[in-house]
Amino acid sequence: MRKPDGKIVLLGDMNVGKTSLLQRYMERRFPDTVSTVGGAFYLKQWRSYNISIWDTAGREQFHGLGSMYCRGAAAVILTYDVNHPQSLVELEDRFLGLTDTANTDCLFAIVGNKVDLLEDGTADSQEKEGLGPGVAGGGSSGSPKVPKQVQPEDAVAFYKKILKYKMLDEKDVPAAEQMCFETSAKTGYNVDLLFETLFDMVVPVILRQRAQGPPQTVDITSYKTPRRTRSGCCA
Amino acid sequence: MMSTKAFTLVSAVEWELLAGDKERVHIECVECCGKNLYVGTGDCVVYHFLLEERALPTGTATFSATKQLHRHLGFRKPVSELRAASALNRLLVLCDNSITLLNMMSLEPVPSGARIKGAVALALNENPVSGDPFCVEVCIISVKRRTIQLFLVYEDRVQIVREVSTPEQPLAVAVDGHFLCLALTTQYIILNYNTGFSQDLFPYCSEEKRPIVKRIGRQEFLLAGPGGLGMFATVAGISQRAPVHWSENVIGAAICFPYVIALDDEFITVHSMLDQQQKQTLPFKEGHILQDFEGRVIVATSKGVYILVPLPLEKQIQDLLASHRVEEALVLAKGARRNIPKEKFQVMYRRILQQAGFIQFAQLQFLEAKELFRSGQLDVRELISLYPFLLPTSSSFTRSHPPLHEYADLNQLTQGDQEKMAKCKRFLMSYLNEVRSTEVANGYKEDIDTALLKLYAEADHDSLLDLLVTENSCLLTDSAAWLEKHKKYFALGLLYHYNNQDAAAVQLWVNIVNGDIHDSTRSDLYEYVVDFLTYSLDQELVWKYADWVLQKSEEVGVQVFTKRPLDEQQNSFNPDSVITCLKKYPKALVKYLEHLVIDRRLQKEEYHTHLALLYLDKVLQERSGANSKGVEATETQVKLQHLLQKSDLYRVHILIDRIRGAGLPMESAILHGKLEEHEEALRILVHELQDFSAAEDYCLWRSEGRDPPYRQRLFHTLLAMYLQPGPAAPELAVAAADLLNRHAANFDAARVLQLLPGGWSVQLLRPFLTGAVRNSVHARRTTQVALGLAKSENLIYKYDKMKLKGSSVQLSDKKLCQMCQNPFCEPVFVRYPNGGLVHTHCAASRHTNPSSPGPGTRT
Repeated sequence: MRKPDGKIVLLGDMNVGKTSLLQRYMERRFPDTVSTVGGAFYLKQWRSYNISIWDTAGREQFHGLGSMYCRGAAAVILTYDVNHPQSLVELEDRFLGLTDTANTDCLFAIVGNKVDLLEDGTADSQEKEGLGPGVAGGGSSGSPKVPKQVQPEDAVAFYKKILKYKMLDEKDVPAAEQMCFETSAKTGYNVDLLFETLFDMVVPVILRQRAQGPPQTVDITSYKTPRRTRSGCCA
Repeated sequence: MMSTKAFTLVSAVEWELLAGDKERVHIECVECCGKNLYVGTGDCVVYHFLLEERALPTGTATFSATKQLHRHLGFRKPVSELRAASALNRLLVLCDNSITLLNMMSLEPVPSGARIKGAVALALNENPVSGDPFCVEVCIISVKRRTIQLFLVYEDRVQIVREVSTPEQPLAVAVDGHFLCLALTTQYIILNYNTGFSQDLFPYCSEEKRPIVKRIGRQEFLLAGPGGLGMFATVAGISQRAPVHWSENVIGAAICFPYVIALDDEFITVHSMLDQQQKQTLPFKEGHILQDFEGRVIVATSKGVYILVPLPLEKQIQDLLASHRVEEALVLAKGARRNIPKEKFQVMYRRILQQAGFIQFAQLQFLEAKELFRSGQLDVRELISLYPFLLPTSSSFTRSHPPLHEYADLNQLTQGDQEKMAKCKRFLMSYLNEVRSTEVANGYKEDIDTALLKLYAEADHDSLLDLLVTENSCLLTDSAAWLEKHKKYFALGLLYHYNNQDAAAVQLWVNIVNGDIHDSTRSDLYEYVVDFLTYSLDQELVWKYADWVLQKSEEVGVQVFTKRPLDEQQNSFNPDSVITCLKKYPKALVKYLEHLVIDRRLQKEEYHTHLALLYLDKVLQERSGANSKGVEATETQVKLQHLLQKSDLYRVHILIDRIRGAGLPMESAILHGKLEEHEEALRILVHELQDFSAAEDYCLWRSEGRDPPYRQRLFHTLLAMYLQPGPAAPELAVAAADLLNRHAANFDAARVLQLLPGGWSVQLLRPFLTGAVRNSVHARRTTQVALGLAKSENLIYKYDKMKLKGSSVQLSDKKLCQMCQNPFCEPVFVRYPNGGLVHTHCAASRHTNPSSPGPGTRT
């Protein structure tokens, strides 16, 4: 098995279209997807680097696995559904904390998916497909087109919150406008742009990590007694 | 989901073998080490069996167990775990919270009675850190709360090395190096017992399900996660493989590369670690133990022990290919890389790629097929041989055995579907075209190119011609027969030409042009043949078909001579032979002579005269045909006049004789001009033709390159003719005035003035007079300048001469010639401007022999 050089993780509430985004990019298609169990990953060759892209399960049941998936990630794609403001709120409430295990110089991308369902959508798909009840969110359930509920400014504001949360200086990280995307996995709108922008940003990170060498030794000075975590699911 | 057959389940230890005459027996744990199989029971007995494996031709095996010994441990508790340490010949037995050491063969306890007390569960470190071969590292979950202990176990003693406390009560443990992978009450963690650093993995709920912690390789563990997931985690706390999806109530897990095997109440499930897909499900009720021991997977119920025998990977791959599951087969094959020796793997993998390629091919997935053929380095002939009749009859190729696919030929593969057949052929065309210039073609170029030719010919493809006119390896006999069959005669000609059989090629094309055989590839085939012959080096061939091409078209046919490279035209295609040949073809002859005279500028009287006569004949012929005095000169007439004017080589008298009385005044004027008979020529122009501008042009033409007086004479002759009294005098007077005004410089003004009639006004001749005066003044002034310059030049020479004469030179015996170093015997000498003296003959020889040293440089 090829050893990946860097890791990108897709996070977000269930049904926002993480799996569909990834399949649209990797397989150039928009199939019906079922709710992701646990996680899945793809290996993408980008120039001479192997980048693994992890698709995670959005369901609450698998929430506990998120930290492990994020550990050592070079970039995290936080995905919401532009038609469901709650999905953006969930990113902050539930998913941002999972990224604590990512690299310190981890990049964050905020992605509003399913713009094809918008009334004045930038992506222009008129067809509507009624999907079966067991189908997870790829983009287009049979719902009628609706006015956009999450504005791009909301995503930018969230991005700035992340920087505050991570105690990062805006000057040291890519600008919000660069890292907030609106996509449609169904039409493919902005999907390549999203992934390839990230790949290009991740490559220098990989190079920097290589230059520093792998963290073979554990830094004892920074050792903290393990935090007692409350029970995850048996509350 | 279609299933793979990766394992077969065979029985190892039957119930009767264990129970004997007892009514109840309950298997609690199993251990397998080489051929030794140990079973621990609920009634505190350890059994030892020897396993015999017998391979079956189907690729699987059967097992039979022979009971060796059994020992009751003397407690009333069940035997909860067994671990063999073969290096020490010891069996570790966990029973009643205490680990005792037994001899592996005799099942006797060690005499020292060494044991580990207070253990709930144990794990052996398969990646030990001590480096001591005479001990094993054992990790236990202690009966003490939240405590893990690490021991070194020797042949007859045990030594505790460390005690680690955990944040919560541990329920299961696995160990690798310094890393403990622990299932705590609410979460899984990795704990480095050397540094104490703990890494959270993920939470789970121990009240809902039993944790599984299973080391699967260096620094990697498999854990039972939420939602029935089998999660992979490295000691760094990272998941490098996507999880496998089990049922919610998995009891045990084992690894047998590349598969993860899981056991629940009813089934054994097999997932691939390579693509996370479930590959096989075996019904198995009441199982409660699943473990792997050095690659051997054992599963047990409370009453019997069974072995999961893996099918050889190659067999599995072949099964997948047989059911056309290409992707999975390739993933499995790639995953098997590290388990198979490199050379063997490469051969196997190539073959799999090729087989996969044919499967994709049969499904008309050509892009995928091509990539697989390419990466599998397929012998292209395997593919070609699918297409009937494409391989040359001479090809030595036989298909590989065992076969790479199940198809006899394309007909069978497409079941006669013509559209599919055409698609396959198009694919082969593009594929062969791509590979023919690569290393894939090495050694089979003939087969490939011949097949390609056949495909092109059959499909009426344009590239057929491209193939034949560029470097190719098409086999002649096979290709020729095929082209003939498909009536590709033009292409067949190209093939003959490529094989140095130009005669056959030309004969074939000639037949097409003649309509004897039909092939409409080229509508301009005749021109093509002419062109071909023009550049053909085969002289005989050219002569052979010269008549044919000329008969078809004299003008075009003659190109075989006129456009021929020049060096050849001097040898076998010399003008005389060609002219002889062209006797019967007058038009061609004219073209050819034009080529000689005009293009090649051959200065041979014969050709010029011949051409002029041919032109003349034609003009005369046209005259008699049209029978009317054409206002315009015909094309031929223009050519004739041009030739007569420009050429100085033809025999004028012959032409004058021929032209006499033919009514061709312009031509006779030119001919007279050639004979310097200007009066006659001008007479014709002025009086017969009354073409004054022609007369003027005549004067300019004939005086071209001559000195000005000659030109003046000509113009004066013309002027005199204009001024002659006669019936046409008024017209001629106007012409005279025009002539003078236009060509003032070509007249001697003084003489003109004497000739002119007194009645002419100055106004009439103003341009002439102005010009004449200007010329005269200009001449005078330039002469004055020249005179002045000459005078001053003369003065300079005079000055030099005076200077040189100013001093005397004395000759004596001591003065030697600077050239020959001999004395002067006569009073004659040469003195150089620098004062050097030499003999006159030496000075003379110095100019003829430049290598001798100049005296000027000596002094």
